[in-house]
Amino acid sequence: MIVELGHYALIVALATALVQSVVPVIGARRGDLAMMNVAHPAAIASFLLVLLSFGALTYAYVTSDFSVQNVYENSHSLKPLIFKISGVWGNHEGSMVLWILILVFFSALVATFGGNLPATLRANVLAVQAWITSAFLFFVLLTSNPFARIAPAPMEGRDLNPILQDIGLAIHPPLLYLGYVGFSICFSFAIAALMDGRIDAAWARWVRPWTLAAWTFLTAGISMGSYWAYYELGWGGWWFWDPVENASFMPWLAGTALLHSALVMEKREALRIWTVLLAILTFSLSLLGTFLVRSGVLTSVHTFASDPTRGVFILGILVLFIGGALSLFALRAASLKSGGLFQPISREGALVFNNLFLTTATATVLIGTLYPLLLESLTGEKISVGPPFFNLTFGPVMLPLLLAVPFGPLLAWKRGDLIGAAQRLYMAAGLSLLAGLAALYFATGAPVLAALGIALGFFLVFGALTDLALRSGLGKTSLAVSWKRFAGLPRSTLGGALAHLGLGVSVLGIVGVTAFETEQVREMSPGEVTEAGGYTLRFDGMEPAVGPNYTEDVGHFTVLVDGEPLARMDSAKRLYTARRMPTTEAGILTRGVNQLYVSLGDPVETGEAAGSGTIVVRVWWKPMVTLIWYGTIIMAAGGIISLSDRRLRVGAPSRSRRARAAMEPAE
Amino acid sequence: MTRKQKRLAVIAGGMGVIALAAVLVLVALRDEIVFFHSPSDIAAEPVTPGTRIRLGGLVVAGSIERGGGTEVRFAVEDGASTVAVAYDGILPDLFREGQGVITEGSFQPGSDTFVADSVLAKHDENYMPKEVADTLKSQGVWQGEGEAN
Amino acid sequence: MMFWVLAAILTAVVTIALLLPLARRVPVVAGGDHDVEVYSDQLSEVDRDSNAGLIDEAEAEYARAEIARRLLRADRRSDAGIEERSGRMRRVAQVGVIVAVPAIAMGAYLTAGSPGLPDQPLASRAAPPSERSGPEMLIAQAEAHLADNPDDGRGWDVLAPIYLRMGRFDDAEMAYANAMRILGPSAERHSGYGETLVAAAGGVISEEARIAFQSARELEPDEPKAAFYLAMALVQEGRNERALQAFEDLAETSPPDAPWMEVVDAQIATLDRERSATGSLTLAPLELPNLAGSQEPSAPSGSSAPSDEAAAIQSMPESERREMIVGMVESLDARLRENPDNADGWMRLMRSYSVLGRDDAANDALTRALEAFPRDSEQGAALLALASELGIDAPAEEAQ
Repeated sequence: MIVELGHYALIVALATALVQSVVPVIGARRGDLAMMNVAHPAAIASFLLVLLSFGALTYAYVTSDFSVQNVYENSHSLKPLIFKISGVWGNHEGSMVLWILILVFFSALVATFGGNLPATLRANVLAVQAWITSAFLFFVLLTSNPFARIAPAPMEGRDLNPILQDIGLAIHPPLLYLGYVGFSICFSFAIAALMDGRIDAAWARWVRPWTLAAWTFLTAGISMGSYWAYYELGWGGWWFWDPVENASFMPWLAGTALLHSALVMEKREALRIWTVLLAILTFSLSLLGTFLVRSGVLTSVHTFASDPTRGVFILGILVLFIGGALSLFALRAASLKSGGLFQPISREGALVFNNLFLTTATATVLIGTLYPLLLESLTGEKISVGPPFFNLTFGPVMLPLLLAVPFGPLLAWKRGDLIGAAQRLYMAAGLSLLAGLAALYFATGAPVLAALGIALGFFLVFGALTDLALRSGLGKTSLAVSWKRFAGLPRSTLGGALAHLGLGVSVLGIVGVTAFETEQVREMSPGEVTEAGGYTLRFDGMEPAVGPNYTEDVGHFTVLVDGEPLARMDSAKRLYTARRMPTTEAGILTRGVNQLYVSLGDPVETGEAAGSGTIVVRVWWKPMVTLIWYGTIIMAAGGIISLSDRRLRVGAPSRSRRARAAMEPAE
Repeated sequence: MTRKQKRLAVIAGGMGVIALAAVLVLVALRDEIVFFHSPSDIAAEPVTPGTRIRLGGLVVAGSIERGGGTEVRFAVEDGASTVAVAYDGILPDLFREGQGVITEGSFQPGSDTFVADSVLAKHDENYMPKEVADTLKSQGVWQGEGEAN
Repeated sequence: MMFWVLAAILTAVVTIALLLPLARRVPVVAGGDHDVEVYSDQLSEVDRDSNAGLIDEAEAEYARAEIARRLLRADRRSDAGIEERSGRMRRVAQVGVIVAVPAIAMGAYLTAGSPGLPDQPLASRAAPPSERSGPEMLIAQAEAHLADNPDDGRGWDVLAPIYLRMGRFDDAEMAYANAMRILGPSAERHSGYGETLVAAAGGVISEEARIAFQSARELEPDEPKAAFYLAMALVQEGRNERALQAFEDLAETSPPDAPWMEVVDAQIATLDRERSATGSLTLAPLELPNLAGSQEPSAPSGSSAPSDEAAAIQSMPESERREMIVGMVESLDARLRENPDNADGWMRLMRSYSVLGRDDAANDALTRALEAFPRDSEQGAALLALASELGIDAPAEEAQ
């Protein structure tokens, strides 16, 4: 009964979303506040209904109710509880329900905290959200219903793909979806504003926290996905320029651009048309990502459940929303006047520079991702676009942008002083060049390019610190005063600087691991040793073992420094019994920001080494690799700190505070 | 500079960036993409030695020969033709006989053996790389869906 | 019943929640108010920043002027507020909500849902508590045991049919293979292995499966399962006369209350009816229950698919085989003359003539087949492809 109630709730959610799609829009057109207000309970009800539905599905998973086809296909009674729960979104149907749950969650947030938005804007935003919700509820109910039943029920399920039975995968999709789907709010705001015909600085202020929240989640989600691929796939790579990765990376790039352009719009009311377009494009890229991942039109290492008929449905949704939004944009954009004027060298100019490069970078990624698809449908020729393409196009586009990042925050609004900014960055630039030279000196034989990369990473870090130091007047006043000023800095300034700093840290990691990584593939017999990154790795032999739902051959290694044992490392070849699927578990040893990564190959079965326990081993020394993810964590932290800025707290300032501000105009 | 000139300069700069990116993309699309070939494509029209390609098909049963160390030789077929492949490295977990795989590398001058530097098999046990599945369907080997005539 | 009560309550609560705003009288609210809030806040922010020395006075002055302009504009706009309205549109919306929500919800649910089906959590399904550690636990224990002792043939022997019944065909295949490797072949293992292959192929009896049943029969001529599947294989090949004979033999040797007799009798009846209806037997497979469910392992499944005729005939004595083939081919030829709209039949005929070495007849068959299926049709192309494979010369293009 609970399962069926979940199914019913999902259908009622569709009915509610349809009401929410229509009534508030009519209300907004007619100026009827009562009809606009329907959006509020509808959004809350949709959220509760989908939550109920999701809960019912989770219940079916936890109790191993194999009369539900989705549970039968993706679960197993012996699976640990955590993976029974994460199994809910480890498959196509369940992940789409999660997608919708997050969508209606954001709608409910707008309904609850959007009390300070103008009534028509709020009604329209919620209506647009409901359009998206309805489309995806139709999709789920018609093509991928997670509540389909089997009678009589099988006694045992078919188990979840073992590679998905991982704690990283339990958290990664929800985070990623919070980001992806979060951009739907920006989209809805853009459409609602176009319908209203009013796009101004206040609009930008209202959109920014939502963009920031979605961006923060997406940053964390991508980072986690990257780390998961790094340790779970056993290939030692952290980014493959795989279509599915690109699908999440494109909204991130566009969202980053949106974050910056909304800033210009809020402060100066400039870039209005552009910002609205970016808001539409960012969510369009999210939809495109969903389509690419769910339809299986592109070969990817990350897609699991895919079905072409579903792809057509999502493609329909994609065309409807992107096409409709862009048409509305084309109709209304002409009526938007451009806003405040500024010199090319100014904060606005810097942010335009940022947007230009970020969108160009997004476009190169988009072309690289879709080109194989396009070529195949036009000529039938099959090609693959791999890392070399992206290294040649994305890299050069990002380079000037990264160089410019420290300058941006130092330029004044409207009319900036580039020379002045450069003078203030002397120290940061000098220190970074020193760091680059140090890298050249210590890592003998390091390529000059790598040293420049290191310098660039440090320049970003020191640039962000310079910005904070200048703002708090460090060196100009006493330390106590500086500290007071630092503490009094707006949180959004602090968050922005932190995000730039995080970017620098990630760049350091990327450059470090790319330039200084060492890899060796070799046969090792028990007792044999090899050197990696100044450590000695000794292979101690293989040992069979049995896990809860797999058997494995574990290779034991000992890491030695100067002959003294430092740590033990295990890498394993696993065989999951239910699906008879082999996987490789990498052994990773973290030392500071560096990692030693060991992965097993096949046992040697020919020649004189056969049967002696000799196995092929792949050993990587990955210097600075963890900086990549630490950097993203810092970026996400910057996002959270920015969000906590009271001015950005969802919606506009509260009434009481405004009253106080009005009473004390010159505080 | 007048305001108009400034605006023109900004627009020109922006266009410059976009043009530069477009050139990069075009160059990269010419040089950095890899074409997919099936064994029967290669039988029909040999690939110039040294050109990087992707070769996909099913691993021929009984063709896997391990040499010393990490060297391995196997053959890839699509029902009509077969190509011998040499590879030095660690094979993916799901590499086995009869499994669909994609290899990337090139032919060496004067040899019919494809020298691969990477071998892919996806981490889903039902996985059949899309390109391989298409080829097999066109060769009539595919049994995955519907009946084969 | 409980479900319907809860569903009704859910629907009612949602409908009422949606109706509430429409029923309420709402005050007039000015539209520009919220913008004014934002701009005033921006003003105070500029003040704060300039007080803290973050921006210089000239810059602050600029910013203040700009924000003040926006503030003025927002103030002007706020006069055009929202008036309270009531009337027709709102009533239409009310009626719409009252009708649409329950109608959509019930309508969609009744088509898609399974209201009668209770939850079936695993814990409540295995009946007596002692058996809760029932099949799946036993299987898990057996699997763990076998992981440690992979050479325990009896373990594989026990596990194999259980896997088969659970629909884990890959595992069943592996278990049977292991059992045979360790304990040696037996009729039971051979036919179980064959049955697994058949089930995995969705009822089609492949050549490999047929060989397995054949081996089972060699070891134990009375093995009913093998006899049954071999008869089904004959049905699949369209050799219904022989199939009928095989089923009748099986019926004779089996006890009348054997579980497979129901299916066998049904097959005999169908094949008999076919014969009396057409004079000769045509292909008429019987839809059988699928094995993947939880049925008796010996109630087999079968559906039909064309299969390699020559291979099936190999199991007969030489003279009979030749005679059989010729008779069959001729009857097929005659049938296709009457009813040429059967591409599969034509292909079979061409292949048969080719096997018999009668290339002229094969050629003739191709010509006639192409009359029914033009070259550019899908079947025509398939026919031509087969012809080139068999080395039959296609008739010249102009002959068409």
